[in-house]
Amino acid sequence: MQPQRLPAGGRIDRSKPISFRFDGRKLEGYAGDTLASALLANGVSIVGRSFKLRRPRGIVGSGAEEPNAIMQIGKGAHAQPNLRATQVELYNGLVARTTKGWPGARFDIGAINDLFGKVFSAGFYYKTFMRPKSWWRLYERIIRASAGFGRAPTEKDPDRYEHRNAHCDVLVAGGGPAGLAAALVAGQAGARVILADAQNEFGGSLLGTKHSIGDARADEWIARTVEQLAALDNVTLLPRSTVFGYYDHNFLAIAERCTDHLPEEERTGVRQRLWRVRAKQVVLAQGAFERPLAFCNNDRPGVMLASAVSRYIRRYAVRPGKRAVVFTNNDSAYETAIDLAEAGAAVVIVDSRMGGAGSVAERAANAGISMLTGHIVTDVVGRRRVRGVRVAGWSGNPSYLVESSIRIECDLLAMSGGWSPAVHLHSQAGGSNEWDTDRLCFVPGAATQANVSAGACNGMWSLRDCLREGMESGRAAASRCGFDAADVDLPTTRQGHDNPPQPLWRVPADAEPERCPKQFLDFQNDTSVADIRLAVREGYRNVEHVKRYTALGFGTDQGKLGNIIGMAVLAECLGKSIPEVGTTTFRPAFTPVSFGVGAGENVGDLYDPVRKTAIHEWHVAAGAPMENVGQWHRPWYFPRDGEDLHAAVARECLAARQSLGIMDASTLGKIDARGRDVVEFLERVYTHNVGKMKVGRCAYGIMLGEDGMVLDDGVMARLGEEHFYLTTTTGGAANVLAWLESWLQTEWPELEVFLTSLTDHFSTIAVVGPNSRKVLEKVGCSIDLGKDGFPFMTVKEAELGGYPVQLFRVSFSGELAFEINIDSGYALAMWETVMAAGEEYGITPYGTESMHVLRAEKGFVIVGQDTDGSVTPVDLGMNWLLSKDKDYLGKRSLARPDCVRSDRKQLVGLLSSDNSTVLPEGTQLVEVPDAPVPVPMCGHVTSSYMSACLGHPIALALVAGGRVRKGETVYAAMPGREPLPVTIAAPVFYDPKGERQHV
Amino acid sequence: MLLIECPWCGERAETEFSYGGEAGIARPADPDALGDAEWADYLFNRSNPRGAHRELWNHAQGCRRWFGVERDTVTYRISGSFRLSGGVGKRED
Amino acid sequence: MSESLVRRHGLESLLAGMPGSPSADPGVSVTIRGDLGHINVRGNAEGTGFVKSVEQVLGQALPIRPNTVSAGQHQVFWLGPDEWLVATPSGVAAELAGRLKHASTGIHASVNDISGGQIALMLQGPKCRDLLARGCTLDLHPGVFAVGDCAQSGLAKANVVLALVDDKPTFMVVVRRSFSDYLYRWLAHAGSDDGVTFRDA
Repeated sequence: MQPQRLPAGGRIDRSKPISFRFDGRKLEGYAGDTLASALLANGVSIVGRSFKLRRPRGIVGSGAEEPNAIMQIGKGAHAQPNLRATQVELYNGLVARTTKGWPGARFDIGAINDLFGKVFSAGFYYKTFMRPKSWWRLYERIIRASAGFGRAPTEKDPDRYEHRNAHCDVLVAGGGPAGLAAALVAGQAGARVILADAQNEFGGSLLGTKHSIGDARADEWIARTVEQLAALDNVTLLPRSTVFGYYDHNFLAIAERCTDHLPEEERTGVRQRLWRVRAKQVVLAQGAFERPLAFCNNDRPGVMLASAVSRYIRRYAVRPGKRAVVFTNNDSAYETAIDLAEAGAAVVIVDSRMGGAGSVAERAANAGISMLTGHIVTDVVGRRRVRGVRVAGWSGNPSYLVESSIRIECDLLAMSGGWSPAVHLHSQAGGSNEWDTDRLCFVPGAATQANVSAGACNGMWSLRDCLREGMESGRAAASRCGFDAADVDLPTTRQGHDNPPQPLWRVPADAEPERCPKQFLDFQNDTSVADIRLAVREGYRNVEHVKRYTALGFGTDQGKLGNIIGMAVLAECLGKSIPEVGTTTFRPAFTPVSFGVGAGENVGDLYDPVRKTAIHEWHVAAGAPMENVGQWHRPWYFPRDGEDLHAAVARECLAARQSLGIMDASTLGKIDARGRDVVEFLERVYTHNVGKMKVGRCAYGIMLGEDGMVLDDGVMARLGEEHFYLTTTTGGAANVLAWLESWLQTEWPELEVFLTSLTDHFSTIAVVGPNSRKVLEKVGCSIDLGKDGFPFMTVKEAELGGYPVQLFRVSFSGELAFEINIDSGYALAMWETVMAAGEEYGITPYGTESMHVLRAEKGFVIVGQDTDGSVTPVDLGMNWLLSKDKDYLGKRSLARPDCVRSDRKQLVGLLSSDNSTVLPEGTQLVEVPDAPVPVPMCGHVTSSYMSACLGHPIALALVAGGRVRKGETVYAAMPGREPLPVTIAAPVFYDPKGERQHV
Repeated sequence: MLLIECPWCGERAETEFSYGGEAGIARPADPDALGDAEWADYLFNRSNPRGAHRELWNHAQGCRRWFGVERDTVTYRISGSFRLSGGVGKRED
Repeated sequence: MSESLVRRHGLESLLAGMPGSPSADPGVSVTIRGDLGHINVRGNAEGTGFVKSVEQVLGQALPIRPNTVSAGQHQVFWLGPDEWLVATPSGVAAELAGRLKHASTGIHASVNDISGGQIALMLQGPKCRDLLARGCTLDLHPGVFAVGDCAQSGLAKANVVLALVDDKPTFMVVVRRSFSDYLYRWLAHAGSDDGVTFRDA
C-alpha cells in the first residue's frame, strides 16, 4: 500500500517490489526508488527533527541538497551514518533510522526546545554554556548526546575499500544533458574521457521529463547517448560516483559507491572506490540547486522544492500532495505546477511577480491551474504537516510587513526561489564567482585551472543552452588535448520565453522577523532570518564570521540549500549588495565521504609499510616481540619461558658482557661512497679529519646541519684511497642520503663522488662479548681475528663460514665485538651458523632494548633519542670530534652566541638517590622541587634503564650547564609522587677507560 | 596534489618529490669571515614571496635529482622546472 | 664459494602460505624472480669513455634516454642521468659486477652488486594495469607507457622500479628487499578481486 504512488509512469519497476524498514516500520517501494521517493510514496512526512529546535522536518529536496532526511543506513558494522535519503537507492532489506530525535522523529522529547525558540538564537551555545567554566564537561556531554547526525559503528569495518589512480584527457563531472553531450563529443573525438555522475543512472535533471531532443524523447536520448559512450573504449563511465574534490593541478577525487545499492547479502568485492584522477581538461556539468524562500514556518513537512516535486512525480511516480500551492519568483516552478496538475492534484500558483510568467503561463492556464500573481506566501499552517498557507498581495516593496492575508487549504507547498549554479568544484579549483543581476545567482567567473563550466552549473537554464554548452565544452576540451572533434548539430528542443526572476529572499510577513514565526534559511542548522539579523545587531559584518556565529552553511550541508539566500538576507541587513557580501569558501568534500573510502587499502597490516630484515622470520619464531623503529620492525627482546621485558633484558645484557650476544643490526643505513674527491666531500660533511683515516680504518663520525645541530651519526670505514663505506642511524638513512646528494648536486657539483645505498643489500650481524672472537674462529674465518691482526676500529674483507663478508671490529656495547656485513640473501644462513657455533658459549640473541642498555652504560648517544635537533656536539661533550683544521657543514654555527652559552643543556649521567627508581624517559628535572608554580625546569631525562651489570638504574639527561655540575643534586619531577633527588654524574657508567673493547 | 615536472623524468605526482626550500641560497665561501648576523641571515632568512617563488625539489622516488621549480605561492601554478648544473651553489644555472 | 650457497629472497614463507590451488586463469600472476641479480652502475654519460667501457662489458647499449630499458643479454634500466640498474641471472651478477668495476678503473664511476638488496617481481595478465593503478600514480595506458619504458615511482607505499616488458602485458616491478614483504601483502590484498596468484621463478 503506497498511498502517494501514481498508477503509471516513472522510472521505477513496479514488477520488483522492495521491502525496507524505516525507524522499525516495515514499508514497501519499488526497484528504481530512492529511500526518499519510497518514503514519500508511503506518505511518510516526518523524516527527522531539526538540529537545535527539534521541529519536525520532512523531505525538501531530491538530491545532494536535501537538508533534513539524513539517515543511518544499514545494520551493525555495515552501518553508514549521514546519508541523505534522497541519494540512497532502495534495496531489499534496507534498514534506515532517523538520526535526530529521541525516542524517535515522530515523537521527540526535545521538541520542547521549539517552545523556547526565542532562547535558542544565534550564538546561544557561546552565550549559555561558558559559565561556570567548570561545568563545561557536563554541558558538552549533554550537547553531544542531543546533537549529531548519526552514530559511527563501533565494530571493525568488514568491507573492502579501494583507491585507484586514473589519468584522462577530459573529466566530465556530472552526467546530465550538458555532461552527456560534452562526454560524447570529446569521446568521439578520441580523447580519454571519464564521465562521473552521482546518481545510479545518467541523465540528471532530464530523467523522466517530457522534453524532446531532436526526434527522441528525453529518456530515449539519454539511453542512446549512454549506449554510444559505452561503446567507446576510450570512455570510462562512472555512475554512482561523486566528484567531491577539485585540488591543485587538475587533480580531482571521486567517490564511487560500488555495492551500497545492493542488499547486504549480495555485496561482494569492493564497497567503495576512491578515484584519484589527473585530468588534462575538466568539464564541470554538475547542474544547479533550486533555492528555497524564507517565509514563516517554511520548514514544515510538506514544504518542498518545486524541482523536487517534479522529480518525484516524473521520475518516481510519486505525487507528494493532492492539493498543492506552488510559490515562486521565477518561471521554472510553473512546470512543477503542470506536473502536479497532470498527476491529478489541485494546484494554485502564487507568483511574487506582478507580471507572472512568460510562455509557460499559457500552458499552466490550459492545464486548469489558477494563478495569483503579485502575491506571496507569508506563513504556513499546520505543525506536523502542511494544512494550508497564508497568502497576501505584494507590490514588491521590500518591507518586512504585509497587511491582510487569506488562507488557502493545501497539503503540499512547492517553492522556488530561483536557481544557484553548483559552483562548488569551480570554486574549489580556485575560480572566482560573479553575481549575475539578471539571473540572480553567482555564476562561475574566470577559471584558474584547466576547467570550464557548462550547462546549468554555468547559469544556463534551458535544455537547448545546456546541450549547446555541453557540446562546445566537450569539443574545446578535446581540442586542447590534441583531438579534433567533428561539428555536431545541435538537436532541436522546445524553446519558450521566460520572464526574468524577481529578487525575493526573505518574504515579508505580518510582523518583523523577530516577532513572527521563524523564517528558515538553513534547515539543517536551524538558522533563520532573525538569527542573521541578530548577528548583524551584535556587530558581525564579515560573511565568514556570520557563518560561524549562526552556523549558516555548516556541517554536511555546506550551504547547498541555504547559503545564497542567507547571504542575500545578510546583504539586506548590512545595506550592501550580494556580491559585496560575497560567499563563504567552498571546500571539499562536496558531499560527505566515508572514512573507509578515504583509507582505501591502507588499513590494518597495510596501514604503513612494515620493513623487515632478512632475519626477521627467525626473530618471530624465537618469540621476540617487535618494536617499531621508523618503518622497521625490530626484535625488542627475546623472552625465555615466562620472562618479562626486564628479566629478559637483564639476562641478555649480562650474556653480552660476560660471554656472547648476537644482534641483528641490519636496519642501519649503509652508503657506498667513492670517487676521486670522496675525501674532500666527506671532510665537508663530517666534523672529524677524514683524510687522516688510513685505508682499513673505521671511525665514528657525526654530521651537523648548517645550524650546528647534530643531524646523524655512525661508523664510517675507509675501504680504499677513494672508497668509503658510511653508516647512518636506522631512522636517518633515507634523509641522510638525500641530504648528501643535495650538497653534491647543488652546491659542489665539481666534486667527483658517487653515493649508492647498500642498506638493503647488506645485512649486519653484531657478534658481541668476550667470546665473540672465539665463535667466529670456530665458524671459520679466512683472516686472523687476533688483537694485532685485526685491531679495534678496522675493517676487512673476509670469508666467514664459506660466505664472503665485510668484517668490522667495532662495538656499540663497549665489549669485544664484530659486525658482519653479508649479502642479505645469505644473512639468515649466517645468523643460524653463528647461533649454532655459539651454543657452547651460551650465545644469546638480544634485541633493541638490550642494545639500548648496553650503549647507555657506555654513554653512547642515540641521535633522535638523546638529541632532538637542538643539541650541538659540544652539548654532547664531543669536542674531540670537531676538527679545527677545516671547515665543515655547521661549523660556523657552533660559534653563534646561542651555541656558546654556558647554560645550554648538556649531556650528563644521572643516578637515582634511592638506587632503585628507573626514571621515566622524558622526566623533567628541577632545581628546587617546592618552588612556586610554574617551577623552572633545568633539564630532562633522555634515556633511562635498569643496568643489570651495574646493579642499579642509570640515566642520560640533558641538564643546563650540566657538565660542570657533577656530584650535584637535582630533582626528578614525577606525577603522583614526591620529586626524587638524583645525582649528576659522568655519562659513562661502565668501563670508562674503554679497555674491554680493545682486547 | 601538484603535478611537478622533473627535468629528466617529466611530469610526476607530487608524492614522488620532496621539498627543499628556496633556491638560490648559496653557501658562503668563507663562513668564518661572516659576522653572526650575516651567518644567521644565510641560515634562517628566506624571501617568502607572495607570487613567483624559485624553489628546490628532489625527485625522491624517481631519479633522485635535485632541481629547481618556479611556483606561484598564491595560485600554486608552476611556470617551469630547471636543472641545477652550474656548480654555483644552490642557485640555478 | 658463493656459487654453491643457497640464496634466499625472503618471500619463501609467504609463498608457502598460499592457498593450494590458485585459479587456472588469474587476472594477474606474480612471479618472484629471486633468481635475478642486480648491479647498480653510476657514471657520467657524457664524455670520459664511461659509456663505451660499460657497453663493452655488457655487450649491449646503456640506455641514455630517461626512463627506458635496454634489453639484451641483461636488462639495463635507466635510473637517473648517471645511474643504471643491470638485472642479470644471480649466478653471474658478482662476476659481471667485477668486470664492470675493472673496466671502469680510472674513470669516474661506481659499480655495486646489490643483489641482496632488491627483488624483481614479474606481473602478468589482463588485470595488471588495474592492479598497478590502485597503488601507482603513473599513467600506465599503453599509449603512454610502452614496452621498453621504465620508471621509478611508488607502488602503494613502497618505492619501485617499474617496467613494461612485453604487451601481454608483463610488468617488471623491482622493490627493495625490506619492502618486499609489505608489497607482496599489498598485491595479494589489492588484487584479491582479480584472483592474483604468486609463484616462485
